[in-house]
Amino acid sequence: MLKLNNIEVTYLNVIRVLHGVSLTVEDGAIIALLGANGAGKSTTLKAISGLLHVEEGEVTDGSIEWNGARIDDKNAEQIGKLGIIQALEGRHVFEHLTTEENLMVGAHNRKDRNTVKSDMEMVYDYFPRLKELRRNTAGYLSGGEQQMLVIGRAMMATPKLMMLDEPSLGLAPLLVEEIYDIIKRFNTEQKTSVLLVEQNVRIALNIAHYGYVMENGRVVLDGTADFLKNNEDVKEFYMGLSTVGTKKSYREVKHYKRRKRWL
Amino acid sequence: MNELLQYVITGLALGVVYALIALGFVVVWKSSGVANLALGQLVLFSSWFAYGMLSQAGLPVWVGIPLVIVFALILGWAIERFTLRPLIAQPILSLIAVTLGLAYFFEGLVGIIWPKSVASLPPLFPQEPVHIGTAVIKQEFLWAAVISLVLFGLLTLFFRYHKMGIAMRAAADDQKAVQACGIPVTKIFSQSWMFACVLAAVGGILVSSIGNISKAPLVETGLQAFSVVILGGLDSFLGAIIAGPIIGLAETLGGGYLTKLTWEGIKEVIPFIIIIIVMFVKPFGLFGEKRIERI
Repeated sequence: MLKLNNIEVTYLNVIRVLHGVSLTVEDGAIIALLGANGAGKSTTLKAISGLLHVEEGEVTDGSIEWNGARIDDKNAEQIGKLGIIQALEGRHVFEHLTTEENLMVGAHNRKDRNTVKSDMEMVYDYFPRLKELRRNTAGYLSGGEQQMLVIGRAMMATPKLMMLDEPSLGLAPLLVEEIYDIIKRFNTEQKTSVLLVEQNVRIALNIAHYGYVMENGRVVLDGTADFLKNNEDVKEFYMGLSTVGTKKSYREVKHYKRRKRWL
Repeated sequence: MNELLQYVITGLALGVVYALIALGFVVVWKSSGVANLALGQLVLFSSWFAYGMLSQAGLPVWVGIPLVIVFALILGWAIERFTLRPLIAQPILSLIAVTLGLAYFFEGLVGIIWPKSVASLPPLFPQEPVHIGTAVIKQEFLWAAVISLVLFGLLTLFFRYHKMGIAMRAAADDQKAVQACGIPVTKIFSQSWMFACVLAAVGGILVSSIGNISKAPLVETGLQAFSVVILGGLDSFLGAIIAGPIIGLAETLGGGYLTKLTWEGIKEVIPFIIIIIVMFVKPFGLFGEKRIERI
């Protein structure tokens, strides 16, 4: 179980981007972290995975606990070895390596060769497309295939907690659905917890058990997926639906009339 | 005729050694983006160190050579750990300047410890010359070529199939994503420098076993490896093994024939003339990786 207690994150010692974020990821759950650009979602993920140190950011207050032990002072390698793996935003494949070599890098910290083989079969089972492309240079794959590869690479580490940063970014809606189905399947079959950062609120809440809404470096709302889906504010501001649940007509938009309830 | 054959064989052999040294440059460049300007001085320093072990301390070959290799490993680790790692995340130019500093440091160090300008290693290989066709070749050339080729082959396999090799290539593409996979990039950097130093040491020993251990010519050997790297493409193993023999041939053939016709120093200039011509046509080098850009 991952627990963030009131963490603050500061970049370059002056720019504070998280002002006390608390969240919990139960074992085996899918948690969605929602919010607009600049809300601090990615920073939260990086704080957990230890990649913050590379970007001159620091957790200046609060604590991050993994199964009861504090991990906020550990670096990315140590956290990776604990079983927390982050797939970066924006398809960071190793361009000059083949698909299969990319997956191999994901399994780098695994000791046992045979399980690596079987895990690779598992990834190919989730993403049959990758199997066809396994000898191809990753840089020439399409955007969707690259996103699959990045997720597959994270799977290869057989993480206990997989953190995905906007897997839907720049992909066609059908492809997004396909990828989300696979994430859901992976979660139920492998019992891996998933912490999902997403702007596509509707699709994220379809597979998530619980969600947090962030704004300006704070968690402003949290609840079960069903609660959030039916929340008036979420519907209005993140799904583009009017309070009745129908598609919003811009003719009737009167911004001043409706304020977010958490402000 | 036998003169030509001799030039060709020695040129190819030398070229393969250059390619091996060049590989050390490629590995560092690929994994960390640092151009190692101290290549020639590393060759120089480790050759003289081998001289110290084998000739001055009088150790037998099977003790002395492994010692030199182990020392090269430690040297590579120390260079990365103490001079380059503190500069991680600084502009790449500062790191390259550091390697330039290292170059002068090692050159000075060799000058202090071994003031004489020429020395020789005890014979490492059988001395009788070999007859190939009509040409008579010193056996050292063949040994040097065989050892280099074997090492080159092993390293290629390492980078293609071993997980550490794959991770090193991955780091060349995207360091942050490598870290996100839980792999320490610092370990990758320090391994690449260990490779570079060992290859420089092996190359240095092979070259010095052919002729003498010297000062400026050994640094030039490193410069030749530079030409190999630029000709073959900074990040290409295949480029190194193909460009190596080209540079080697240019050196021996040019040295053999053109010196008589033109002037003394032509031998050293020819590789660079070839490079300039190649760079006009193929700016990434013969086999340099094209940047993959999807728009």
